Amino acid sequence: MSWRNELLAVWAVTLRNALMGARNVFFFFELLFWPIVGVLSIGLMSRFLELTEAQASFVLVGTIALSVVNVCQLEVAYAVLLDVWSKSLKHQFLAPIGIRHLTLGSWVVGMVRSLAVFVLLAALGRWAFGFHVLQPGWFALAMFLLGCFLTAWVVGVAVCALITLFGNRAEAFAWATVNMVLVLAGIYYPISVLPDSIAAIARAIPLTYFLDAYRSHYGFASEFRAPIATGLALSALYAALAHWAFLAAIHRARRTGLLLKMSE
Amino acid sequence: MVSFLGMLAIDARDVEKTFRSGWPRRRETQALRGVSLTVERGAIVGVLGPNGAGKTTLLSILATLLTPDRGTVMVLGHDVVREAGALRRRLNMASGRPSFLWSLRVAEIIAFYGRLYGLSGAALRRRVDGLIELCELGPYRRVPYSDLSTGLKQRVALAKSLVNDPELLFLDEPTLGLDPDVSVRVRAHIARLRREQGITIVLTTHYMREADELCDEIAFIKGGRILARGTPGELKRQIRLGEVIALRLDPARVPWLAEIPGVLRCVELDGWVECTVDEAEKRLPELLRALHADGVVIRNVQVREPELEEVFVELAK
Ligand SMILES: Nc1ncnc2c1ncn2[C@@H]1O[C@H](COP(=O)(O)OP(=O)(O)OP(=O)(O)O)[C@@H](O)[C@H]1O
Ligand SMILES: [Mg+2]
Repeated sequence: MSWRNELLAVWAVTLRNALMGARNVFFFFELLFWPIVGVLSIGLMSRFLELTEAQASFVLVGTIALSVVNVCQLEVAYAVLLDVWSKSLKHQFLAPIGIRHLTLGSWVVGMVRSLAVFVLLAALGRWAFGFHVLQPGWFALAMFLLGCFLTAWVVGVAVCALITLFGNRAEAFAWATVNMVLVLAGIYYPISVLPDSIAAIARAIPLTYFLDAYRSHYGFASEFRAPIATGLALSALYAALAHWAFLAAIHRARRTGLLLKMSE
Repeated sequence: MVSFLGMLAIDARDVEKTFRSGWPRRRETQALRGVSLTVERGAIVGVLGPNGAGKTTLLSILATLLTPDRGTVMVLGHDVVREAGALRRRLNMASGRPSFLWSLRVAEIIAFYGRLYGLSGAALRRRVDGLIELCELGPYRRVPYSDLSTGLKQRVALAKSLVNDPELLFLDEPTLGLDPDVSVRVRAHIARLRREQGITIVLTTHYMREADELCDEIAFIKGGRILARGTPGELKRQIRLGEVIALRLDPARVPWLAEIPGVLRCVELDGWVECTVDEAEKRLPELLRALHADGVVIRNVQVREPELEEVFVELAK
């Protein structure tokens, strides 16, 4: 496949997801509602508990990261979910494209959307709680966002794989599993407070490292030696694994007939 | 018309497919039990058979949506399992129960799939416009898919299935639920696709008239096996249903008619005597001669081939 066709297929999916997103007012509302509720409640709680400025920043970073990852991963999962819901999955697997076009195309929309959510939350955090996202500098912020996007890609593709493996009944199960994993990533606490066994899991999650690196600029000593490099390496590893799992799931769905079953 | 005389578009041998579903108790359905099918380039072949016969399963395997358990399947010279990628650009499929993303509009749906097949810019716009015109979707190009009627949805599916200019087209019950007027046009359209562009078409249908009218050849499938194969005419002869000679006679009843050699049975119906014979061309003069010799007045004669529907009913037994 030529580069032109590669980009075109990704662009086709990007355009499709963007159109679907723009058409659904309800999605739009949902997209903003939970992130805003998150930042407000965490911010207010930190005021009630009289946290120091650094501590408040710590938990706000956590809740913002969670929102960004959630919005972005949901969009990545739309790569198959939109078609599963409307029972049109077979058409795109009849076309000469690969799953990379589906996931990358959705990821692009996910990044744009979650970036918009991030800007909004940052503004809200600054206005309501005096929290400044740019305090660590542009580079640190960019790395933090990249970490969120990569984590979202891995999570979203894993959800796609689970759904094509178990059918649409597995939807709820898929969300639950991946969200449980995310909560372990030290969203609201340093992983040093976790029991050893659970900390080991948290250490296997890339987001943990990106959070750690970003928070080190708010006065929390880094728990790892090279958090960003480690986070990137882990992300690459999981991205490859998730991609492979999705590929295998599609392969299996073609064999078992699930692909057809999800299209009628 | 483009001619690919003698070249095979499809060469499937001993294809088997068993579905396993259900948990914890496994259910097995043998959908295909050793199907072999060849289709020449440029032909229209109909796959007929009762519900659950395996028609959709067969088409899905040929279109790379389903992998066969056993057997070899070559489509347009590609192996459907090993060379699926290259094959997919050259074929397409539409079904009578189509579904697309609900809130996308007609033109957006066609354009989306067009891009997946590598079209862009002016070429994509031209193709989308052309297909919208071809499928008479002009007034609906900005209508969301969910707001379309069944027939319009099917036309969108047909337009989508032509977006990559396929050499081979699979149509699974393309006229399901369409009103007669639209069905006629869809059929004319299918015939034109083959005539003008030389597209090879494999279709399934439950409308025998459609199969009779459109198909060069018919494969009859039941219980995952192909039971009969041939032109509609050949099938009718193969089944030995016989042909019907209907007579209006005076006196209306002639008891000895059924005893004439070659006459299989006679029934009276609304003043007509319907004699089923092995071969009308040979038996008609004999019948007339005998009636004449007996002094029976012949007021009217009609000769009818059996309908494909009767062949279907006979085969499906
Ligand atoms: N995805 C699937 N999973 C499990 N079983 C299936 C699947 N698809 C088809 N089957 C089973 O395989 C058999 C053949 O089905 P198929 O859809 O090919 O029939 P068909 O000839 O197209 O019937 P119809 O005329 O009703 O469309 C049926 O018994 C059906 O229940
Ligand atoms: Mg069917």
